[in-house]
Amino acid sequence: MAGLVVDAARCVGCGRCVRACGNAGIEVRDRLAYPTDGCLLCGACVDACPVGAIAIEHSQVDAADLASWHDVWVFAQVEREGGLAPVAMELVGKARELACARGCRVVALLAAAESESGALASTLIARGADEVRLACDERFASADPELLAGWVCAEVRAGRPEIVLFGATPLGRELAPRVAVTLQTGLTADCTVLAIDSQTGLLQQTRPAFGGNLMATIVCPTHRPQMATVRPGVFAAPEPDPSRTGAVVAAPLAPGAASRVRLRAFAPTSAGASLVQARRLVVVGRGIGSQKNLPLMRRLAELLGAQLGCTRPLVEAGWLDYPHQIGQTGASVAPELLVSVGVSGAVQHLAGIGGAKTVIAINEDAGAPIFGAAHYRVVGDAIAVVRALVERLEADAVAR
Amino acid sequence: MHIVVCVKAVPGSTEVKMDPKTHTIVRDGGAAVVNPFDATALELALRLRDARVAAGEPSRVSALSMGIPATEALLRDCMARGADEALLLSDRAFAGADTLATTYALTCGIARLAKGAGEPALVLCGKMAVDGDTAQIGPELAGALGAACATDVREILACDAHAVLVRAAVDGGMAELELPLPAVLTVAKEAAQLRMPSIAGVRAAAAAPVPVATAQAVGADTARIGLAGSPTQVVRSFVPEQRSRAVPVVGTPAEQAARLVQIIAEVS
Amino acid sequence: MARGAVAEGLIRPFEAEYEDYVRDESRSRGHAESISFPTSEEEVREVLRALAPEAAPVTVQGARTGLAAGAVPAGGHVMNLSRMNRYLGLRQDEEGRFYLRVQPGVVLLDLRRHLAARDIPANGWDDASLRALEALSAAPLQMFPTDPTETSACLGGMAACNASGARSFRYGPMRGHVSALRLVLADGDVLALRRGEARARGRALALTTEGGRALAIDLPTYEMPVCKNASGYYAADDMDALDLIIGSDGTLGIITEIELALMPAPAVTWAVSCFLTDERQVLDATCLLRRSLAHASALEYFDEAALRILRAQRAAGAAFASLVEPPAGARACLYVELACDTEDEAMADLARVGAALEEVGASERATWVARTDVDREALTFFRHAVPESVNMLIDERRRTDPSVTKLGSDMAVPDERLHDVVALYRTTLAEAGLEAAAWGHIGNNHLHVNVLPRDASDYAAGKRLFARWAREVAAMGGAVSAEHGVGKLKRDFLQEMYGRRALVEMARVKQVFDPQGQLGRGNLFDEALLADVPAAPGARAGAAAGKGGA
Repeated sequence: MAGLVVDAARCVGCGRCVRACGNAGIEVRDRLAYPTDGCLLCGACVDACPVGAIAIEHSQVDAADLASWHDVWVFAQVEREGGLAPVAMELVGKARELACARGCRVVALLAAAESESGALASTLIARGADEVRLACDERFASADPELLAGWVCAEVRAGRPEIVLFGATPLGRELAPRVAVTLQTGLTADCTVLAIDSQTGLLQQTRPAFGGNLMATIVCPTHRPQMATVRPGVFAAPEPDPSRTGAVVAAPLAPGAASRVRLRAFAPTSAGASLVQARRLVVVGRGIGSQKNLPLMRRLAELLGAQLGCTRPLVEAGWLDYPHQIGQTGASVAPELLVSVGVSGAVQHLAGIGGAKTVIAINEDAGAPIFGAAHYRVVGDAIAVVRALVERLEADAVAR
Repeated sequence: MHIVVCVKAVPGSTEVKMDPKTHTIVRDGGAAVVNPFDATALELALRLRDARVAAGEPSRVSALSMGIPATEALLRDCMARGADEALLLSDRAFAGADTLATTYALTCGIARLAKGAGEPALVLCGKMAVDGDTAQIGPELAGALGAACATDVREILACDAHAVLVRAAVDGGMAELELPLPAVLTVAKEAAQLRMPSIAGVRAAAAAPVPVATAQAVGADTARIGLAGSPTQVVRSFVPEQRSRAVPVVGTPAEQAARLVQIIAEVS
Repeated sequence: MARGAVAEGLIRPFEAEYEDYVRDESRSRGHAESISFPTSEEEVREVLRALAPEAAPVTVQGARTGLAAGAVPAGGHVMNLSRMNRYLGLRQDEEGRFYLRVQPGVVLLDLRRHLAARDIPANGWDDASLRALEALSAAPLQMFPTDPTETSACLGGMAACNASGARSFRYGPMRGHVSALRLVLADGDVLALRRGEARARGRALALTTEGGRALAIDLPTYEMPVCKNASGYYAADDMDALDLIIGSDGTLGIITEIELALMPAPAVTWAVSCFLTDERQVLDATCLLRRSLAHASALEYFDEAALRILRAQRAAGAAFASLVEPPAGARACLYVELACDTEDEAMADLARVGAALEEVGASERATWVARTDVDREALTFFRHAVPESVNMLIDERRRTDPSVTKLGSDMAVPDERLHDVVALYRTTLAEAGLEAAAWGHIGNNHLHVNVLPRDASDYAAGKRLFARWAREVAAMGGAVSAEHGVGKLKRDFLQEMYGRRALVEMARVKQVFDPQGQLGRGNLFDEALLADVPAAPGARAGAAAGKGGA
């Protein structure tokens, strides 16, 4: 295994390595140095050793060693309010697929501040976990990634998983790299596709780079565990199967572990209806012709249960206020449905609607760039189409 | 107070196309620029330094990068804008580094900078780089340095010799976090806009030294840098398929409206 | 009235939905009876042939971004060319220069994007053009240098008013960058002009249309000022016919095709915003920099009031929240742009800017140097935010008094009168007790002084002041409109500048091209003047031929 090795024949026990280490990662007992769990493999002791007794050894492809790592682990994040983060279920579902292909188990790591986390463990099992390693500890209340990293590392060292998956949440994006650097293994961020070689267990991790303009498939052939983060919503959560059974294993946090970072204040993101959170949006541009058409657009938004947004020129013309502006200098939105009316589609505007799942664009100009970002193109007089659409939706509403 | 800012040279544009003839990936990124997130980190560092200096504490900002020799021009630009010194880690041996190997190389660079200006109280990085998008370097650096860490920092609220107070995005909202020093902060792009250099700054930086260090010069273990030190390997890169061409909805306005009602019902 | 079937489909009654097309950026409004959106030269001709028998007024429009109301209709027909926005072809001459042929509705921003991305739409191009396009893709990046602030302007409109921009300091106005154009006359006939092929002899110009009609033009006899100028027809001895059309404000014909002379984009563009403590420093620095800089492409100025308004809007509004804040104590901003082949050249000029600042008592530390796209965009945003923030201020005032509008001047003087003209502005504004903000192209002694009326009486006082400035600027050998064109708003100033006789000479030129006075009614000439001018003999013959052919 890779790690810090001390040549007992050379070591004189002088202790320079202990003084060089910032992490209590090495200690001297009986005139011989021993690495501890605190070792980050930073190499400070290697440089400090006057007799060249310390080295960091790297793993080669060592089939026997690789074979000693098994199972797919998932870090099951708990939300501030106490429930499981949706991405935890999604990851368990993906892990289940990988484990089926590989013929191994799915293990969920669950660190909760509440004592009644049995329900969470049951949920993870129902979604596909074979085992839940559970730590219930009030120290997890502040969701400190450093504290969690220490716990995860200890569990990984003990359990030797072949794969560990994390949600690419703010917490996961800090936790996973800390774990990776401590374990000195590879980590692939924001994977959108995960596939496994059932023979070798090699995880094919595909992720976007260059702002999504390029996809890369990445492997981690000689280091274990293989680690990846996955954004929420990329994989579907499996339906729960209450008949599934699994083990819940206590995995307590080390007694001495403590947070260094203090949470002084927390302000939840306001749940009020805003463009950024809207599920449906009607976005209007200069092509609606005149301010007197705005009530029609508002009516469309109302009928669709949508928020109303607009392009910059409309804000500049004073037709709508700045909070309605969508684009590079306004809000970036990611609704499920975006109906774009009379928007030509300047690059700056398109930059703000990239997250929309379905875009319906209505514009008179068949060459308008907005159509390049649209899923459905409606070429025609925007006002006439919207008027017809409103009539139709009103009739449907009455019929219902 | 010594503040180290890690900066990465990235292509000016992240546009990527597939060459239709050769089927190779064309990254016509234009001239390299400082990763915009790192530019924000530099601004926060300069503001903090200016505040500490105004409070009577001698303080320095160092800009650190690992990159090709041409990255020197970007570090010089950081100096034109106010960084006190710069260090470029440039060596073929650093090439092919993934985040783990990059983290290690940067720790070597930080150790070198610490020899001159003292152990850094703060290491600032952009939240992510616009080309790699991994957002891993900051927390990996924190892990490697054994430092406290805050990611996606929006504002540095206060800082003294022992602790820093920041506002940062966390799951579900915004948190005010107090970190003991030394600490690593990764910074959101919107936290600040990097100041422009003055004519005086540009002229001074043009004459300033930008030391370039090899792996050996910073005492890096060759097994832990570059390709050799990278656990991950890219086995394939490809340009994703374009979003399928928009489906036309044709007919009279009434017909188009009727079809749209169906589509809206289908998609949500 | 018997219009052709095609024209019938093109000419639409002016219904309420076309409300926008009676206005342009000048915020004045007109009226019209019909409108068309032709997509080809043939359609333009069809519409004009249909309208000629009625002698209907025709106002041509592009993107309606003009500031002199040139596109605001004065009754009759509105011909909007915004859908004539195709790229037609490309050629390369022996010296390797590229010439791009476009329809008039092509928008400047699109042109720039296509040039920068090297992806000019080439659908339907002939082989020669496609070969030139291949050469273009291998050549150094090309640009079109004319850079009005309003990038949504279209090339046709820019040609019609001989547009300028900040970089006209280096590259001059649009006129010099047009190598050919096609002009449809009021009767539907076409005049094809290519630079160097049709020149005047002295002030006499003879042209022949594609339809075979001979046009004999006596060019106006005035001498144009030796400064930036977009006031009235271009007239000089032995001039090129092309130069008459450019800047003619849509009064001679309808431009249906323009060939743009491209040039290699500079490899290195650096921009510097210098913050000074008073206006005198700016004027002195301008004079120094005009002499010392080797590669300046623009010299722009923003005065204290402009900076104050900008600061206020930045503090108040979300729209400018991301604007970089001007340094405390800055009471004037001088913007210098350098366009060079190498960074060494830029560095040398930058040192000269620093030296000039120190010489006039300012500091080279109070500067922002933009050498990256992000910084250049920040400076561009800053520059463009100045007029926008002033417009926002005026809009606020309009809510209480709708009669209030911004009064913007557009006058230029020769180099040696820079200090004089600024002194004129300052003393007369102070005497009148008017609030104003000034900015603009100080390198060309061309400032936009904007009076910001608080009420109707301020507005009236401002108008009187502008008339006085027009007189005094003309006396300094300056131009009453340096770049926006005369349009409908500055007709009176034109008479101040050249005198009535010159206007009559101009009107005679128009009559040769447009015997029934249909085109661009109200631009350059008031109705009374056109009615007074006796038709030239050549014009009458032309009119008869036109009618006979219809």
